[in-house]
Amino acid sequence: MGRKILIIEDDLQTAAYLNRGLTQEGHSVEHATDGQEGLFRASGGNFDLIIVDRMLPVLDGLSVVKAVRAANIATPVLILSALASVGDRIDGLEGGSDDYLVKPFSFAELLARANALFRRSDARPTADPKIILSDLEIDPLARVVRRNGKKIDLKPREYLLLEYFARNAGKVVTRTMLLEQVWDYHFDPGTNVVDVHVSRLRRKLEEGFDRPLLHTVRGAGYMLAG
Amino acid sequence: MRTSVRIAFLAGLLALAANLAIIGFIHLQTYDESESTLRRQVTQQSHVLTYIFRSGGLPALRTAIDETVDPDDPRAAAAIMDRSGRTTYGNFAYLPAAGEAIGEGYRSGLISVEGETAAHEAGIYFHRLSNGNWLANARIAGEGLALRETLERSLLIGVAMSVLLGIACGVLVARYVGFRIRAISEVAARIGGGDMEHRIPVRSSGDAFETLALQINAMLDRIGRLMDELRMLTDTLAHDLRSPVGRLRSSAESLVAAQSPEEREQLLGNIIQESDSLMRIFTTILEIGRTESLAGRSQFRTFDAADLVAELAEMYEPLVEEAGGTITFEKSGLGFDLNGHRQLLAQALSNLIENAVNHAASSGPVTVFVKREQDRMLMGVADKGPGIPADQREQACSRFGRLDSSRSTAGAGLGLTLVRSIAHLHSGELVLDDAAPGLVAILDLPIGQNA
Repeated sequence: MGRKILIIEDDLQTAAYLNRGLTQEGHSVEHATDGQEGLFRASGGNFDLIIVDRMLPVLDGLSVVKAVRAANIATPVLILSALASVGDRIDGLEGGSDDYLVKPFSFAELLARANALFRRSDARPTADPKIILSDLEIDPLARVVRRNGKKIDLKPREYLLLEYFARNAGKVVTRTMLLEQVWDYHFDPGTNVVDVHVSRLRRKLEEGFDRPLLHTVRGAGYMLAG
Repeated sequence: MRTSVRIAFLAGLLALAANLAIIGFIHLQTYDESESTLRRQVTQQSHVLTYIFRSGGLPALRTAIDETVDPDDPRAAAAIMDRSGRTTYGNFAYLPAAGEAIGEGYRSGLISVEGETAAHEAGIYFHRLSNGNWLANARIAGEGLALRETLERSLLIGVAMSVLLGIACGVLVARYVGFRIRAISEVAARIGGGDMEHRIPVRSSGDAFETLALQINAMLDRIGRLMDELRMLTDTLAHDLRSPVGRLRSSAESLVAAQSPEEREQLLGNIIQESDSLMRIFTTILEIGRTESLAGRSQFRTFDAADLVAELAEMYEPLVEEAGGTITFEKSGLGFDLNGHRQLLAQALSNLIENAVNHAASSGPVTVFVKREQDRMLMGVADKGPGIPADQREQACSRFGRLDSSRSTAGAGLGLTLVRSIAHLHSGELVLDDAAPGLVAILDLPIGQNA
């Protein structure tokens, strides 16, 4: 399903790289090269996602985000930036953006984050909040997980991890996304601490079942799929 | 030089003003004293003689004049003068100034006393008698006025001398100040010229110059340390980056020659991994720089430190267990609210935990703890590993201060430096200590300082 994406980026090489990748994914892309033009387009068009570089000519990325939010435009915004420190990330997120990705980035990471943002803005409250994925059933209210009717005991953090996977079912979720969304940490640990949690969760989900649920996507992350 | 001239001139001027004030005071005092005494004495004597003349006539006056002219009091003189002022009786003659006319009353002037050649300064009282003659009596101002004159003369010399002395003192002071300042400015010039080794010589006088010198030296020491660290950083950075860049390059070279798709994929994976670890090194260096410059204090929030530490212990539990160890969480004290940068503190603690996992997970339990002590919050990690010898702990915290020579872990050696700079951001310290056996690393942070 194609989405409408606005890229505000003055570096033409990065913009072309993004444009090519996102178009291949079936999205339609518009491109603005400075903050002012970007803000103008963001206010006019009905976009599903705005990808904005933090350092832009005329009007910087953070100001664009603030102006967009001040204009009550709820479009998800992803900031791209070479400013990589924890403080910079927090500045970006507190400035009103929905996600913050540090340059250089892998396209897989960007795509996974974009998909998570689409999913979040698509989410509608339903009468039955239960998440069902083939034989896996998650009840977010009771925080109970069953597979094939059999209850699976999860620690609180394992439950949060699974719920995040389930809400992004069928989409790639990266390690840094998990670290940011499940633990709320915005730094990069030097170890595979996240992977160990995922493999524990996988063991609990798949023990006694033949069909795998939690898949490893090489070079990108993980995906929960029925 | 202009400064020292100005100081000398000022000192001279001050000396002159002070001396003039003193001299003026002495002059006024002594002048008044001698002049008024003389006037009073002469006037009184004139009244006495006039009275005698009135009551006893000229003969009585003459007798009185004879008595006044007393050999025991050589300063006293008395005379009767005719209308033109010539002495007709008595022992002195008045020597009027050119064009001066005699008149009733007191004046000071020169007289010549009978039997003496030199003229004397004296106070004289003229009184016109009923017969038209003048009754004149005088008193030589000998000591009083002469004293004053000597005094004035010596005071003038004194003024001149003290002004000279003042200027001399000024020159000395100016030279001394200039000398002390020059010692400082010479060092400053040398350092400005790029030679960071010089320091201002310090003697133990404890004066303001020395305090200044000590402060400047301390500042130079700190700048020197930072520059050394920076130099070492760039050296080590250049050296350390050679290995990952080298691996990157060799992977790329192999990729060019690679035949099978599996091999190519493997090599591409390596390239991505190596560039990620390079990026991680850069990010950590930037983070250290940013933290050291105390940016990020605006992002301080109050949060529960015990919750954070417990959360991290829980987060690392599976990893530690995979590595064959155990991790326990301990807390002691009451009140764990801390105003700080939650994200950076989480990163600092996670660095410490990862260090313990990498070096000591198999040697025994890793303990993650939080302690509230009065006005301090202690958060840390203790392990049962080999520890760090006391003399190497400082080095362990400096940039790239890796203790083992293995350079396999990318970005290692920066971890503790970042932890320490995060401690500094919170006005605290990173303390490395002996856990006997093992290492205990503590973030020792003051509470409430930034609240």
